[in-house]
Amino acid sequence: MVAASPTLAKPADARASLFEGWRALADNYVARRIGKAVLTIWAVATMTFFLVRLMPGNPVEQFIGQLIAQYQLPYAEARDQAASLFAIDLDQPVYLQYFSFLGKLAQGDLGTSIKSQGVKVTSIIVAFLPWTLFCVGISLFISFGLGIILGALMAYWRGSVLDYSLTTFGSLLHSIPNYLIAMILIIFLGVRWELLPVVKMRGSMSPGIQPGFTLVFVLDVLFHAALPILTYVVTTVGTWMLTMKASTTATLEEDYVNFARAKGLTDGRIRTAYVGRNAILPLFTQLTLSIGFVFGGSVLIESIFVYRGIGTILVSAVSGRDYPVMQGCFLITTASVVFANLLADLLYGYVDPRVRVGQ
Amino acid sequence: MTATSEPPRNAVPDPGERGVFAPPSSFRMPWGQATDARIDASTLPDDIVLSVRDLTVAYRVRRGTVKAVRRISFDLRRGETLALIGESGSGKTTVALALVRLLVRAARITDGSVVYRRGARAVDVLRLGAAGLRHYRWNECAMVFQSALNALNPVIRVRDQFLDVAKAHGMTDRRAAEARALELLRLVQLDADRVAGSYPHELSGGMRQRVLIAMGLLLDPQVIILDEPTTALDILTQRTVIDLLRRLKGERQFALVLVSHDLALAAELADQVATVYAGRIVECGTVADMFYNPHHPYTLGLLNAVPTLSGDFRALDSVRGQPPDLIDLPPGCAFRPRCPFGTDECEATDPEVATVDPARSGVAGAGGHVVACLHADAVAKTFDRHASAARK
Repeated sequence: MVAASPTLAKPADARASLFEGWRALADNYVARRIGKAVLTIWAVATMTFFLVRLMPGNPVEQFIGQLIAQYQLPYAEARDQAASLFAIDLDQPVYLQYFSFLGKLAQGDLGTSIKSQGVKVTSIIVAFLPWTLFCVGISLFISFGLGIILGALMAYWRGSVLDYSLTTFGSLLHSIPNYLIAMILIIFLGVRWELLPVVKMRGSMSPGIQPGFTLVFVLDVLFHAALPILTYVVTTVGTWMLTMKASTTATLEEDYVNFARAKGLTDGRIRTAYVGRNAILPLFTQLTLSIGFVFGGSVLIESIFVYRGIGTILVSAVSGRDYPVMQGCFLITTASVVFANLLADLLYGYVDPRVRVGQ
Repeated sequence: MTATSEPPRNAVPDPGERGVFAPPSSFRMPWGQATDARIDASTLPDDIVLSVRDLTVAYRVRRGTVKAVRRISFDLRRGETLALIGESGSGKTTVALALVRLLVRAARITDGSVVYRRGARAVDVLRLGAAGLRHYRWNECAMVFQSALNALNPVIRVRDQFLDVAKAHGMTDRRAAEARALELLRLVQLDADRVAGSYPHELSGGMRQRVLIAMGLLLDPQVIILDEPTTALDILTQRTVIDLLRRLKGERQFALVLVSHDLALAAELADQVATVYAGRIVECGTVADMFYNPHHPYTLGLLNAVPTLSGDFRALDSVRGQPPDLIDLPPGCAFRPRCPFGTDECEATDPEVATVDPARSGVAGAGGHVVACLHADAVAKTFDRHASAARK
């Protein structure tokens, strides 16, 4: 920063240092990036808040009507009950309601479910989110790992039978929607050929199994997650494969790869540190982005396989008009996308030194 | 003329170029498939480190076969510099790549031999197996590519790229390797500690070129090949690199193969200069031979194409026309369509390389002066006339 001339700097010293502190914070890439992420989540939370209240048939009014019809309560009493249940003061102007919603949100309170009364939305999410995280995380890991290995092999052996068959296979699978694959798996593996006990595989674990780090539990969880994982992997591995192939093919032509050969480096070193490391860079951003998309995709797959994850909860919340739960699910999905992006941006500097900013 | 009477060999399969998944070879360091590649060193003169005979390279493309290098022969003496000069597409870079067997997949070395020697041992580089080739590259012969700007891995620090090379060639002592890298970086006049800790994108083009030269010296190779070392650099940086190379050459005593289109660079750095046209060495001699006694019309044309500060601009006479199509070469001498000395005889025969001075070596490089032209004497006389006219 250019030093201000001393005569000007002296009287405004305190303000200048405050300003410079702010500037330093604003100039800090990490701080700026985190600020942006928080801002995005706030914007989405605000939008869902007002959207819910703009919907025809306000859920609270609906609930009040439901109470009146069900228990023959007078309107005022029903309204009081609803207000105490949702912890919303309905007499407040909307902007005050909004601030109290934000205040609660900041404390991690997402309200209570309408359908299962008295159950906090956060506890629902805490109960079901880990299953989705587990299932999606494992699939992403397998799919990405398999994809880059196969993609690299295709690039090294381009023109071979392996290359052609995997390219065809990859683009074919890539173009089939995942719910279709899921149904095909159920119909053929489960119903027609009866290879898999599809009905037993429903849910996220068998009844009566004690959760814990026991082999029985882990195997049971994997047994139940197998079909969703298989579906995710089959539908996404093609994209990774083809992207990695294109990226590796381009990297193999780079001068530094040829130069590495001229330097007599070992094949293993060239393959990993020179080709692989550089070829994987464009896939890195894509990986973090896809985390968010997989959350969205989990809705259909989880309901087809009746897997008890956040997707199933969202579907039942939508069909039951359970607005707080819907709001919570949307918020979690948004937050996961935003944080995945944040993570991508922060980590990318470590992966690719060329985009590293500041020190 | 050709100095070798060996029958043409069959096309040599190239394990190094089958991609990096080439099957590992079963033989051992340092010379790989020794029985096949080893050559009797006593047949070579003592001071020759690299002896190329009848090297022929062809690229297969859709239209046919590109004859990129046609029966090139030369010798490289210890500590000497040979400059390969020619237009773009003349095949000079292909020669350089063939010397370390780094040609693209579509290219095949169809004939010839590249004999490398250190001390009493000699080996045919074209017959080396994968392990022997890996040892030969950089340990014995370091080739620095044309594109210095993109030759370093963008995601690895310069220090670690030096260590990569050291490790690949069995320098297990990390600290010693690092010390040597820093010493070499200082030798090429770089701020060693800062540069070693930098990523390539943090360095300027001239700095990267110097890093590559320093890297080339890491294992003390006998031969260094530099492909267009100054082309991408601005004129002041070029000067730095040229001065640096000249100093290093004196200090380190490596033989240098310089590939360039820049006659001035050749004049400053080279001991021997070879002009390459349509994949052949058409003339080769000492710097004095080539600049003051050229015998090939192409050399003459290249000399005339260089403007001088004091010269008359209009008198600048370059080589007319375009380089020939290497798939479909003209009959006889490939230079015939552009040659002011050409006669019908030139279309009938493609002249062999012959010595100008019978008292000297008949091979390109190694102090000889050879030319492949039927009208070499006429060319030399024309140059004399020009030169004496210019002196007046």
